[in-house]
Amino acid sequence: VAVGCSALASGCANNGQNALHAKSPQAHDIGVLWWWMLAVASVVFLGACAMLVLGWRRRGPKGLPFVGESEQVNQRLVVTFGIALPIVVLVTLFLVSNVGVIRATAAPKPGTTRLTVQVIGHQWWWEIRYPGTPVVTADVIHSFWVPELNRKIDQIPGRANRELLYADHPGVYRGQCAEYCSLQHAHMSFYVVAQTPAAYAAWLRAQSAPAGAPPPGLAARGRVLFLATTCSSCHAIRGTSARAAIGPDLTHVASRSTLAALTIANTPADLLHWISDPQHVKPGAKMPKLALSSSQFRAIAAYLRSLR
Amino acid sequence: VAATVDTPRARARMGRLERIWAKPGGVLGWLTTTDHKRIGLMYLFATLTFFGAGGVEALLIRTQLAGPDLHVLSPKAYDQVFTMHGVTMIFLFVIPMTTGFFGNYLIPLQIGARDMAFPRMNALSFWIFAASGLFMYTGMVVGQAPDAGWFSYVPLASREFSPDRGIDFYALGLIFNAISTTAASANFIVTIFRMRASGMSVNRMPLFCYAFLATSFALVFALPALTLDLLMLEADRRLGFHFFDATAGGDPLLWQHLFWIFGHPEVYIIILPAFGIATSIIPTFTRRRMVAFPLVALAEILVAFIGFGVWAHHMFATGLSTATTVYFAAASLIIVIPSGIQLFAWIMTIVTGTPAFRTPLLFIVGFIVFFLLGGLSGVMVAAIPFDQQVTDTYFIVAHFHFVIFGAAVFPILGGLYYWFPKVTGRLYDERLGVASFWLTFVGTAVTFFPMHILGLIGMPRRQYTYPGGMGWTGLNLLETIGAFVLTAGLVLIVVNLAHSLFRGRPAGPDPWSAPTLEWATTSPPPEYNFAVIPAVTSPYPNWDLADRRADRHALDAGERVLDAGEQTPSSTVLDAEWGEVIEPPSRSGRPVLLALALMALFTMLLLEHWVTAGVFAGVCALIVFWWHGDEASATPVRGGSLPIGMWGMVMLVFSEGALFLLLLGSYWYLRFRDTHWPAPGAPDPKVLLPLALTAVLAASVAPVVLSARAARAGRAGAACRLLALALVVQLGYLAAQVLLFRHDLLGFSPRDSAYGSAYFALIALHHAHVLVGVLLSAGLLARLGRGLTVYRVTGARAIALYWCFVAAIAVPVVLTQVSPSL
Repeated sequence: VAVGCSALASGCANNGQNALHAKSPQAHDIGVLWWWMLAVASVVFLGACAMLVLGWRRRGPKGLPFVGESEQVNQRLVVTFGIALPIVVLVTLFLVSNVGVIRATAAPKPGTTRLTVQVIGHQWWWEIRYPGTPVVTADVIHSFWVPELNRKIDQIPGRANRELLYADHPGVYRGQCAEYCSLQHAHMSFYVVAQTPAAYAAWLRAQSAPAGAPPPGLAARGRVLFLATTCSSCHAIRGTSARAAIGPDLTHVASRSTLAALTIANTPADLLHWISDPQHVKPGAKMPKLALSSSQFRAIAAYLRSLR
Repeated sequence: VAATVDTPRARARMGRLERIWAKPGGVLGWLTTTDHKRIGLMYLFATLTFFGAGGVEALLIRTQLAGPDLHVLSPKAYDQVFTMHGVTMIFLFVIPMTTGFFGNYLIPLQIGARDMAFPRMNALSFWIFAASGLFMYTGMVVGQAPDAGWFSYVPLASREFSPDRGIDFYALGLIFNAISTTAASANFIVTIFRMRASGMSVNRMPLFCYAFLATSFALVFALPALTLDLLMLEADRRLGFHFFDATAGGDPLLWQHLFWIFGHPEVYIIILPAFGIATSIIPTFTRRRMVAFPLVALAEILVAFIGFGVWAHHMFATGLSTATTVYFAAASLIIVIPSGIQLFAWIMTIVTGTPAFRTPLLFIVGFIVFFLLGGLSGVMVAAIPFDQQVTDTYFIVAHFHFVIFGAAVFPILGGLYYWFPKVTGRLYDERLGVASFWLTFVGTAVTFFPMHILGLIGMPRRQYTYPGGMGWTGLNLLETIGAFVLTAGLVLIVVNLAHSLFRGRPAGPDPWSAPTLEWATTSPPPEYNFAVIPAVTSPYPNWDLADRRADRHALDAGERVLDAGEQTPSSTVLDAEWGEVIEPPSRSGRPVLLALALMALFTMLLLEHWVTAGVFAGVCALIVFWWHGDEASATPVRGGSLPIGMWGMVMLVFSEGALFLLLLGSYWYLRFRDTHWPAPGAPDPKVLLPLALTAVLAASVAPVVLSARAARAGRAGAACRLLALALVVQLGYLAAQVLLFRHDLLGFSPRDSAYGSAYFALIALHHAHVLVGVLLSAGLLARLGRGLTVYRVTGARAIALYWCFVAAIAVPVVLTQVSPSL
C-alpha cells in the first residue's frame, strides 16, 4: 500500500516542487536512495506484520511452527532480527548515503561553478544578487529548498552556507522556504529558472539596466506618486531617486510572473489589489496598507506595470 | 491474594492498617494528599484535560488545512495553535501522563512498596506541573501564546522578532515545568533503586520499572539543557544578553544545540514509558514470560543512554561540517539496534505465546505497527542527503507523529484499558473497547500516513495554508477526515471508561491473571497498598503462587506487616534487602503552598516586577524551611545502607552538575567560534583573587564534612560549631565575590557582547549555588541547635555532599573565568 500510494502520488503532483520528480543528478541520486530505502523498509515492515499475523493465526499453540517451544531459538531469532540483520542493513545504508550520495549532492567548493549567486532570505521574500555568494538571511532563520534540484540548506544569522543547483534542462523549478519563519512562512516561495547561457546573459543584461521612463499619462503620474509617497522609503527603482533596500527592488517588477513571493500572479488586477491592500492578500506582510485614493493606487499600478 | 485472608489475627492486623492509613476525603484531603495513587489520579485528570486542549488545537490545525486557502484561523492564531499543540502534547500530556500517572500509580505497586521514596516531593511535583500548565495556558487566554513553534528557534524567538510576552510564557512556563519533572524523576529513581520489596533484586525488576528508570535518568540529565537554553533566551530577551546574537559574538545555533541535547533524549523519554507499558501488557495477554528479558532490559537502558549522542541529526540542514553530520548520523543509526531488539522481542513473545487479543493487547499491536512505521522512516532520515530533502516537510511530521502518537500514545491508551480494573475495581466494556481500538487505529493511519507523501511532493510543515494546484489538496482533506475519525475513537475510549466506572462489572483483584505485583492486592488498592510487604523470587511475582500464599501466611503470623505507623521499608540497591523502615510525614499542605508561591514568583518574573519576585523567592525559601520542620523517621534494619535522603541529594547534584557542564560547554563553544575573546574593550579577568577565593571556598568544605561526621556520631554541639564556622567563612567568601562581581561590572557588562554574557552568567550561576548552600546550612544549623534526629543527621550529610559538589564545580568555573588571562 505504501509503495502504491507513494508511486501514485509522486506521479500525480506535477507541481514543480516534487522531490520525487528529479530534474538534476543530485535530486536523482536522492530519489534513488529514497526508493531503495522504501523497498527495504517495506520488506521489514511486511515481514514484521507477517509475524504478527502468524501470532494471531496461532493463538492456541505455544511456540513456533516446526520448532515448537524453545527459549534458545526465540532468543536467537531476536538476536538475528534485532541485531545481526539491522547491522548489515544499517552499515550498507550508512555507506551508500552518508559516504556516497552525500558527496554527489554536496555544496561545491567556492569558485568551481559557472555561476554563483547570493540568496538572501527576508520575512517573507527572497532577494537574489548576481553574481554573489553565499546563502544567507537578512532576519530570522529561513531554509532554501528546491526539491527537484537538490537538498535544502538553512540560512542562519552569522553563517554563510552554500548549495549546488544544477538542472538537467532549461525550465522553471519551484522552491519554498522550509524553516518556519513566522506569519507568512506559507507564502515565501520562488522560482529557479534554468536558461541557456545566451538567454541568461540577455536576461541579466535586461535586469541590470535602470528603469526606463514611463509613458506619459497615468503611469507618469504613478511614478511621481511612487517617489513622493512611502513606497520609495522601502523599495528601490534603479534610475530613480528610490534607493531603499527594505523591500524588493522593483526596477523590473513587471517582468516577473508572480508577486509577493509567489502569493499571487502578476496580473494588473492582482497587482492593484496587492498594492492597495497588502494585508488582505498576505496578512502580516511587512508592506503596510497606504492611505491613498483608488485613483492614486491605479496610477502607481500603471507605473509598476510599465517597469518591464 | 492478600485481601482474601480470613483469620481473626489477620483481620485485626488489616483493621489496624486501615485505621493507621485512613485519610480524609474532600477537597482538603486531595490538596494535602501524599498518597502516590491519589497523586497519580490527579495527574491523570489534569493530563487528560491538557490532552483535550491539545486535541482541539490539532483539530483546528487540520480544519484549517482541509482545503487550500482557507481562513478558519488567522496566520497569527494558526502559529499560536500549532506551537501550543506541540508544547501541550509533549510537556503537559505525554510526559506527565506516563511518569505522572502510570509511573506514580504503578511503580510503588509493581515493586511492592507502600509509597514513593519522597511522598511530599511527589505531591509538589504534581502541583508544580498543574501550576505550570495553567501558567502557559494563561498566555493563550490573554492572547499572548507562544507562536515560534515548540522548539522556538532564535532569532525568531528573540525580542526583536517576537516582541510580545508569548515566548516569555513559553520559556518561564517550561523552566517551571522542568522543576516538577526533575523532582518527579529523582523520586522515581530513588523509589526504584531503594523501595523494592525484599527479594526483588535488579534482575527480578519488572521491565516496566527498567523503562521508567531509564526515562527518569534521561530526564534528570536532559532537562538541564532545556532549562539552561531557556534561561539564556530570557536573559537575551529581558536583560539584553547576547548568547544567541550573531552580531555580538553569540550564535543562534547554540540555541539549537542545547535545545536538541534536551530534545532528542526527550523523544526516548516519551517513548520509553510506552515500551514499559508494552512489556507489561504483552506477557499478561500472551500468557508467557518476555522473550529475551535481559536483552530487553539492557536495550531500554541503552536507548536512553545513546539518545544523548544523536542530537545534531535535527540540524543536518544548518550547514554543520560534514564530519559532524556524519558522526551524528552514525550514532543515530546505532540507536536502531536496541529498538530492534525490543521490537522483535515483543513480536516473538506474541508469536510464541498464546495471545488473547483483548483491547489492551490490540493497542499494543497497533503500537508495534506504528512504531515500525515511525522507526523505519526514522532510519531513512539518518541518511543525511535524504534528511536534507525531507526535513521541515510533512514527511517529518508523519515520522514523529507515528513515533509520538502511534508509538507513545497507543500504549498509553492500551494501558488505560489494562489498568482500569485495578484503579477502579471495575471492568471496561470489551466490545466498545475493540471498536474504539479500530477507530483510533484507522484514524491514526489515515491522518498521518499521507503526510509522508505530502512531504515528498514538496509540502513544508508549519504553513498556515497552501495554494491549490500543488497536488496537496486531496491528501490534506483525507488527513482531516482521518483526524476526525481518530477523535471519534478517542471519545469512544473516554465514553467507555466513564460508563464502566459506574456500570462496569466488578473486576476483582486480578482479572487478567497478570504477572506483576499490582495485581496481588485489591482493586482499587488500599491506602497502604499491601498488608504484607511481598517477598519476591522472580520478575513475574504474581505468577509465583506459592510466594503469594506465603504472603498470606505472613499476614496471619504478623511478618513483614509493618503496622506501627505509616511505615514502608527501604531496601538495598542491588539485592533489595531491607535497609531501614521509613515513616514519611503523611498529608501535608506544604507542597501545594510551595507550588503556589513558585507560581507567584514566575508570574512576577513574567511581569518584570523584580522586587516582588524577590519577595516570593524568599517566601519559597521560608516554605522549604518550614517543610523540613515535619520530619520523616527512619529505623535502620541493617547498617551500611545510604539514607534515601542522601540519594535525593545525589539526584540534585546530577541535575545541577549537568547544568554547569552545559553552561561551561556553551562558554567554550562561543569562545571557539569567536575570534575576539575576551570581546574587544572588555578587560582581561583577574587571576589571583578568584583562584584564592576558590581555595577558601574549597577549604570551607572541610568543616561542613566534619560537622556531618559529628552529627552522625551524635555530637550535636560539635556539629553546630563546625557548621557555624563553615558558614562564617562561606558568607565572607560570598561577600568578597559579590564585591568582585560589582567591580567587574564597572569594566564591562553582559550587554556588551556574548563574552560578557557568558562570563557573568557562569559566575552568577556559581554564586547562586553558593547562596543556596549558605541558606541550606543556615536552616540546618537552626534545626541542629534543637537536637539531633535521624532526619537532621541525613540533612547534615546531604548538605555536606552539596558543598562538596559546589566546591568541585567551582574549579572548572574559576579556570574558565580566568582562562582569557592565562
